[in-house]
Amino acid sequence: MITLPSYLFISFMLFACGLAVMMARKNIVAILLGIELILNSAALNFAAYTKFINQNLDGHIMSLFIIVIAAAEAAVGLAIVIRFYQIKESIHIDDATQLQS
Amino acid sequence: MFDQILFILSAVLTMGGALAVVFSRNLMHACVFLLACLFGVAGLYATLNADFLAATQLVVYAGGVVILMLFAVMLTGGVQSTVNKFGLEKIPGMGNTKTYTAAGLSVIIISFVLFKILKNAVAIAPKGQMVYESTVEKIGTLLVSDHVLAFELSSILLLGALVGAAVIARPRHIKDDV
Repeated sequence: MITLPSYLFISFMLFACGLAVMMARKNIVAILLGIELILNSAALNFAAYTKFINQNLDGHIMSLFIIVIAAAEAAVGLAIVIRFYQIKESIHIDDATQLQS
Repeated sequence: MFDQILFILSAVLTMGGALAVVFSRNLMHACVFLLACLFGVAGLYATLNADFLAATQLVVYAGGVVILMLFAVMLTGGVQSTVNKFGLEKIPGMGNTKTYTAAGLSVIIISFVLFKILKNAVAIAPKGQMVYESTVEKIGTLLVSDHVLAFELSSILLLGALVGAAVIARPRHIKDDV
């Protein structure tokens, strides 16, 4: 039988993988990939608690807003990465040491 | 029975994709594995009776975000970026043993903290199952009645993000650059 802890375990695995990607990688685009994984784990938790505990649809609304905010964050983040590459010719995170070039 | 098969397939796809994102050495491959992971999460939404969320996940993530990521990878010099512009060897872009060791240790520590916190939450016994019905109509009604302020704010946020992304990433003349 599929229960709540199985969904929580999958969501926890997603969070741990996203955290590992964010800490281990030195590429800015790869760090954005880790952020996407972490946001997905949060949205999955909201949907799982909606089915097993709460049973009204507020969790689904919250997951929807998480997806919207993740899309906006990806657009702005990748624009910043492209601009950074135009200025520094690198997407290494250690090269990002100044706010203004 | 069908639910269990779908759940197992989606769980394997999700966790395998996430682990492959962590351990793949090629950034393009990591983006494609992220796509597999997001498909798995959409399948998990389907097993949770969240049909509208599953469709939104497929449209927004698989259709939008991953394509944007692939474009960003290709626009910023592809997968090899280990040497900076001065020709000096630096830490390779995909990390090395030291960064993976630090990341693994911090993941273990945070895992213990989260397990301590979440142990009580997991122990709550689940209530009865929800019978399947479409959630699209209810979500639409809720979005424009109870959550209308958040709905309008998210539209303003999306407009600002679009304009900001276009302004930040636009090409400029050489004399504007420093």
